[in-house]
Amino acid sequence: MARIELVNLSKSFGAVAAVKNVDLAIEDGEFVVLVGPSGCGKTTTLRMVAGFEDPSGGEIRIDGRVVNDLEPRDRGLGMVFQTHALFPHKTVRQNVEFGLRMKNMPPAARAARVAEVAELVRITHLLDKMPSQCSGGESQRVALARTLVTHPSTFLLDEPLSSLDAKLRRELRAECDRLHQTLKRTFIYVTHDQEEAMTLADRIVVMRAGEVVQIGSPMEIYSDPVNSFVADFFGSPSMNLLSGEIAQDGGLPRFRAGRIELALPERFKAAKPGAATLGIRPEHVGLGRDGKGDVELPVRLVEPLGRDTLLYFDAGSERAFVAVSEGLAMADVSVGAPIRLSFDPRRLYVFGTDGRRIFGGAG
Amino acid sequence: MAMTKSQRRRIAAVVRYGVLSLWALVAFFPIYWMVSTSFKPDNQWFSWPPVYFPDPPTLSNYLNVWFGAGQYDVTQYAISSQKPLVSLWNSTVIATTSTFLSVLFGSLLAYGVSRYRILSEARMFQLLMLRMIPPIVVVAPLSLYYSALGLLDSRTGLILVYFLTTLPYAVWMTKSFIDEVPREVEQAAEILGASRWRTVFEIVLPLIRSGLVATFLFILILTWSEYLLALIITKTQVTTLPIELSKYQGTTEGRVYGRQAALAVGITIPLMIVGLIIRKHLARGFSFGMVRR
Repeated sequence: MARIELVNLSKSFGAVAAVKNVDLAIEDGEFVVLVGPSGCGKTTTLRMVAGFEDPSGGEIRIDGRVVNDLEPRDRGLGMVFQTHALFPHKTVRQNVEFGLRMKNMPPAARAARVAEVAELVRITHLLDKMPSQCSGGESQRVALARTLVTHPSTFLLDEPLSSLDAKLRRELRAECDRLHQTLKRTFIYVTHDQEEAMTLADRIVVMRAGEVVQIGSPMEIYSDPVNSFVADFFGSPSMNLLSGEIAQDGGLPRFRAGRIELALPERFKAAKPGAATLGIRPEHVGLGRDGKGDVELPVRLVEPLGRDTLLYFDAGSERAFVAVSEGLAMADVSVGAPIRLSFDPRRLYVFGTDGRRIFGGAG
Repeated sequence: MAMTKSQRRRIAAVVRYGVLSLWALVAFFPIYWMVSTSFKPDNQWFSWPPVYFPDPPTLSNYLNVWFGAGQYDVTQYAISSQKPLVSLWNSTVIATTSTFLSVLFGSLLAYGVSRYRILSEARMFQLLMLRMIPPIVVVAPLSLYYSALGLLDSRTGLILVYFLTTLPYAVWMTKSFIDEVPREVEQAAEILGASRWRTVFEIVLPLIRSGLVATFLFILILTWSEYLLALIITKTQVTTLPIELSKYQGTTEGRVYGRQAALAVGITIPLMIVGLIIRKHLARGFSFGMVRR
């Protein structure tokens, strides 16, 4: 059981500030995912919690107690590493047993506990193998077993699935979720994969350049991104972001960007004229062949994915404008054909030049 | 006429193997000569034209040198106050003890350098530079101090000086192996409750065992065959095999090549045995990068 607080936590490597004044309180039993692009400070933050990096400033508290000066082994945490970090010269059983031996548990109790944990993560058949004989997915299960065998109060997971292929990743993601529900422990999970963050987290902490950008539930992050960075980072395919400008010529404000020009909905009428970025997620773009819609754009590329079909349009901007159509209904659209698109007015976002959200979402 | 690719390849192979065979001949001939001489009766040691195969082969050189048997008893005694078997024992104790100490402390020091940077890169280089001082320079001061400390002509004295002079090699070699051990493997042990010492002895050192074995053999060869320091520090009580070997080439005793060769073969064999026992580790150790992530 552990409540973890990061208070004004900072870390610099020489002149480089890797983590800047992070404040975060993680409730007992919560599954928190730190997510962001590489170099955003998420792993450094996790390693400070683990005790492998000394903070340059601020405090780490576990259940109210400041642990800055505690050795990693005295913090009662468990960690799963990106590279799995199994002991290559020990069998799977010896790997799993290691933490118990360090706690001087008698051999009989140790064997029982190892068997129990092996059952839980389904590695009983691997116990007598060497780590080099295990596949990537199996190694990761062993790493999980080795960590949870000592009943840590909190699990720290540093991109545990990034070395696995897509199918295994989904499988082990479900496994992590199941373990969290079974063990009812605090989980801090670091990833750069927004999908992992969305599916696993109770709360997501989005980081960028060493700072926390937004903290919220997956749905809050998805539907109320605080800025264009968060909006862009979450969702696949990502949100369409059109940089253009808002013009006020009496009545409703209009937005113009490249080939796109449309009237903004009523609730945006306070928008100031000037440069801005319009955002809309691909699934909120309506595709009409019947001639209705806000703008008409030529198709650049069609990607039939089976369940959905992605359509890429030439919007006269750097990035293609993407829309999703369910099923294969649009799979036969020919490249170059103009299609009318309608933008769901309830799902439009406007971001300022600094990237901050001005309109749209819940705010 | 242009050659085809396979013809060119074949010619290249012939040239390559030709050159290598020639080199092997040059390299192995002295060893062959040593073994051959050790089995020659005394009239064939310097005969001309040279005798390539002892005729008849004899074990008398071996029996004489190693067990004091035969007609040369008196000369043997004059040459050395000790039997070579005693020197063999001295060499074994001195070389293995000093090598063990060197690898043990060298790897711990290397761990500190690799993980805590206890020595800067400049210091590490200076450590190696120590080895570039010609040993003859330190011989005089060393023997002075040793005589004051009562370490002359003692095993402890030689063990100490071998341990210290080979330490830089041990640090350099083992550091390259420790650098290969992923930090995360150690951190995994650490967060599971292992102390730093326990991590080193239970995780790091076992992981680099092939490297340790390779380092051990390398240093063992150095100390086993060291001559100069042994010549100065030992007198009569403690002689090592290389010193013993040198005594068979004095002007007063004449050149007893056959027995010297028999002694040299005996000096070489223990190293070969050690090499054979640990060859599995040597192949991995000397190829570096043996830690699987």
